[in-house]
Amino acid sequence: MARFHSLEVTDIRRDTRDAVVVTLKPSDADRDAFDFTQGQYLTFRRDFDGEELRRSYSICAGKDEGCLKVGIKRVEGGAFSTWANEALKVGDRLEAMTPMGRFFTELDASKAKNYLGFAGGSGITPVLSIIKTVLAREPKSTFTLIYANRQTSSIMFREELEDLKNLYLGRFSLIHILETESQEIELFTGRIDPEKMEMLFRLWIDAEEVDTAFICGPEPMMLTIADSLRKHGLSDDQIRFELFASSQPGRARTRAVSASAAAGAGTCEVSVTLDGTTRSFTMEKDGTAVLDAAIANAMDAPYACKAGVCSTCRAKVIEGEVEMEVNHALEDYEVRAGYVLSCQCIPVSDKVVISYDE
Amino acid sequence: MTNKAALLDDETMSLADYLSRGGRLTSPDNVPPRYRGELLRLMSSFVDSELAGSAGFADAINWAPGLKERIAASRITLEKVDHAERVLDLMSDFGTDKALYNKAHSWSARLPRDTHVDPKRQGGDMRLSVFHYPLQNWTDAVVMNLLMGLATVHQLQEQCLTSYQPLGEVFRQILPREKRHMELALEGLERLAGDEATAAEARASVDYWMPRVAETFGPAQSARFERLHQLGLRHTDNETLRTAWKADAEARLAGLGLA
Repeated sequence: MARFHSLEVTDIRRDTRDAVVVTLKPSDADRDAFDFTQGQYLTFRRDFDGEELRRSYSICAGKDEGCLKVGIKRVEGGAFSTWANEALKVGDRLEAMTPMGRFFTELDASKAKNYLGFAGGSGITPVLSIIKTVLAREPKSTFTLIYANRQTSSIMFREELEDLKNLYLGRFSLIHILETESQEIELFTGRIDPEKMEMLFRLWIDAEEVDTAFICGPEPMMLTIADSLRKHGLSDDQIRFELFASSQPGRARTRAVSASAAAGAGTCEVSVTLDGTTRSFTMEKDGTAVLDAAIANAMDAPYACKAGVCSTCRAKVIEGEVEMEVNHALEDYEVRAGYVLSCQCIPVSDKVVISYDE
Repeated sequence: MTNKAALLDDETMSLADYLSRGGRLTSPDNVPPRYRGELLRLMSSFVDSELAGSAGFADAINWAPGLKERIAASRITLEKVDHAERVLDLMSDFGTDKALYNKAHSWSARLPRDTHVDPKRQGGDMRLSVFHYPLQNWTDAVVMNLLMGLATVHQLQEQCLTSYQPLGEVFRQILPREKRHMELALEGLERLAGDEATAAEARASVDYWMPRVAETFGPAQSARFERLHQLGLRHTDNETLRTAWKADAEARLAGLGLA
């Protein structure tokens, strides 16, 4: 089960007006656990007014930098990113899970590969980690980065990328696409759309030479790029997406789910929401799990192991009390937020409302 | 991964649109609840089928008539567990307890051979219904492995396009090895088809397994397929896949004189 470790903030550098780069140091005991792979991310947790928030940020350091760094761009109304940009100080400690994510390919020093990267805004963070690692560890490979931003002042890691260009002359090429600033070459102004992709392929990129393409940015941009890459002959296993986290729990509301009282006799009015449809039925409080009752009532609720192990049947209790007999899959914070394993979930109160849609 | 720190604030789109246009989800953090449920259900059905398939095939090692066949059966038994583990590792990212998962069910358990198992059967583990039927002997194991192996190849080819990128990657690694398992069965069956006694045995096994493997493709009209299709988790409907598999299987059996 995922576990949090305490990391020390050893440096904070302001990168743009609304982005900081935070350097973190794990304890000696945790050092191996934080030995990341390029392109991975860290998930942090912090209490805001007694409520736990979790946020993930990509590592922007290369494998050979000997440190752990994440880039955090402030999001309008984002509690964690605002706090990191405005209040976080050197010497503070952050709670983080060990690195996760699969936005990378295996490297081989003897190979000469051509990589293509597309980054939109803060989507640069994992791509930067990949660029630095690839250039250092695959000396015969090249990397071309197409980097889209609104304007020059919002470009994250601008200087660091220029330095890389000079350090790896001829192996790293960089094209900035700026939405609202005109540049010498007209192609590099505006948004990345299908026409711009066509022009890029005609003038700058030889699709046949590309081994792997990495894309991280807003969804529409990623789709446009992926469509165009496929059209130019790249297969799905050559195209690597990294998506912004979008469905993370927002403010975790604390609620008591487990009841101390054992399930009493009688019946329970259960209301279950699945795919936007709510169905109500009455079930006996005889130790039957809510999942089984929902299935008996012809609902196609998701489940697999029925042993409290796999978490396929996760649902949220909106109202009422239930008791979860076994839980090997949900974390404490999920339970506090009201999530249950419906295969292990016995009604306690006379009315229970659960949803598979939240 | 970053949190909605999008470049262009006005350029947002719904997840349904994103998925319907071929978008990929990349980690448990960007998977919404219903997608999560369907994805985990799909993954555990694969894991359970591989574990049950391997457990059932283990007996075939000792039925093998020669060393070559013994090696083939051992390899298939081993690699199917390895495939299960690769997908189970992805499930662990969602919270699944890998060690307990292995102990949650008896993967070698089988029902009597003449039972009819409802393919929609709910309960216990999530293996495909065909893995509830027992193997009888070497010929039977080879025939089942060919027909189900071929079905797996057709099903995995489709699943390689899944909208959950980490799973697509694992399936693309697994596909050539599952294909090899099917080819090993084909080589085994070639040898059995050469002898009149074992050829007759093989024909009886084909009659037994054909309809049972066909059922693993699911009903022709399926609401679940539609739902999974919208999420980008399925692409080709059950009946189209079943028809393609059947034609493929019949052609291969005809080539061996077993049709």
